[in-house]
Amino acid sequence: MTAWRQAGLNYINYSNIAAKLLRQALKPDLRADAIKRADTHIKITKWENGKPIKESTY
Amino acid sequence: MFGRFGNLAPVLAQNGQQQQQRGMATLKHISMRLKSVKNIQKITQSMKMVSAAKYARAERELRAVRPIGDGTKQFYEKAEVTPIADVPAKLVIAITSDRGLCGAVHTSVARHIRNELAIDDQNTKVVCVGDKSRLILQRLYGKNIIMACNEIGRLPPTFIDASKLADAILKSDYKFNSGEIVFNRFKSVVSYNTQTLPVFSLASVTAAPKLSIYDSLDDEVVQSYLEFSLASLLFYSMKEGACSEQSSRMTAMDNASKNAGEMIDKLTLTFNRTRQAVITRELIEIISGASAL
Repeated sequence: MTAWRQAGLNYINYSNIAAKLLRQALKPDLRADAIKRADTHIKITKWENGKPIKESTY
Repeated sequence: MFGRFGNLAPVLAQNGQQQQQRGMATLKHISMRLKSVKNIQKITQSMKMVSAAKYARAERELRAVRPIGDGTKQFYEKAEVTPIADVPAKLVIAITSDRGLCGAVHTSVARHIRNELAIDDQNTKVVCVGDKSRLILQRLYGKNIIMACNEIGRLPPTFIDASKLADAILKSDYKFNSGEIVFNRFKSVVSYNTQTLPVFSLASVTAAPKLSIYDSLDDEVVQSYLEFSLASLLFYSMKEGACSEQSSRMTAMDNASKNAGEMIDKLTLTFNRTRQAVITRELIEIISGASAL
């Protein structure tokens, strides 16, 4: 088992963290665009029995 | 002639309403109606321009994303992954957005899911991406929704959006055996079709008959790849959905502007006729008044 999975991450989290670090390591002129591509607005709500149970953003 | 009675406008409007109920259209009502239809046309025209610009961008981005989706699909096809038959738990992911006024893109996704739920609504759970699919499905199949996402459609979807969603699906308590993503595949500016992409659980992938054609796979690699491929498939289908939505909105708004144009023509004609009739009537009144003296 890899270290990141032991820490409770899955491959999606792991690769996103890696991508984030890579974006930060870019040259300034490219970095601005890359960071703009990485923002997110999605809101996820869990539902049960036809009703939302709690507001949670992952 | 109406200008003089400016401060009587509310009274006139009330009278007018009664008149309109009787099927009489006065000059003022026609001009009011004409003005509102013109405004609507302006709005639909500018919405069309906006979605045309958004569509151009979405299409450009979609072209870059298609290889990601095709590549991910290949794995399941080559390994001939099939769901394990004895576990019926199924997950359906509806890819729509928050925004309407775009033809039938959202309803066709929702209809596809509704047909599936009509067959078996006990073992199928739904993840609604975008408010529209949730609104359509929650009335009849609210109990089947396990997750709903919004804030989609205002801006083009990003991979981070898709990976958040994939993460949430993987971390949810629902253990699905097989799944599918329902989305609109963009074909051309005027057409799209509603398609599904399969999603599988780890158990069904490791049981796949032709998995051995891939070299040096252990459980760790397969699990990591499955997680990542779910995010890629979601990203791909969100992009396809966004592109179909914008193109469909463009067509819908184009049609709306055209219809408004037709209405404006008809209303202008009636307006002019009515104005002529009013002038004629006034002339008759004056002339007959003068001849009575």
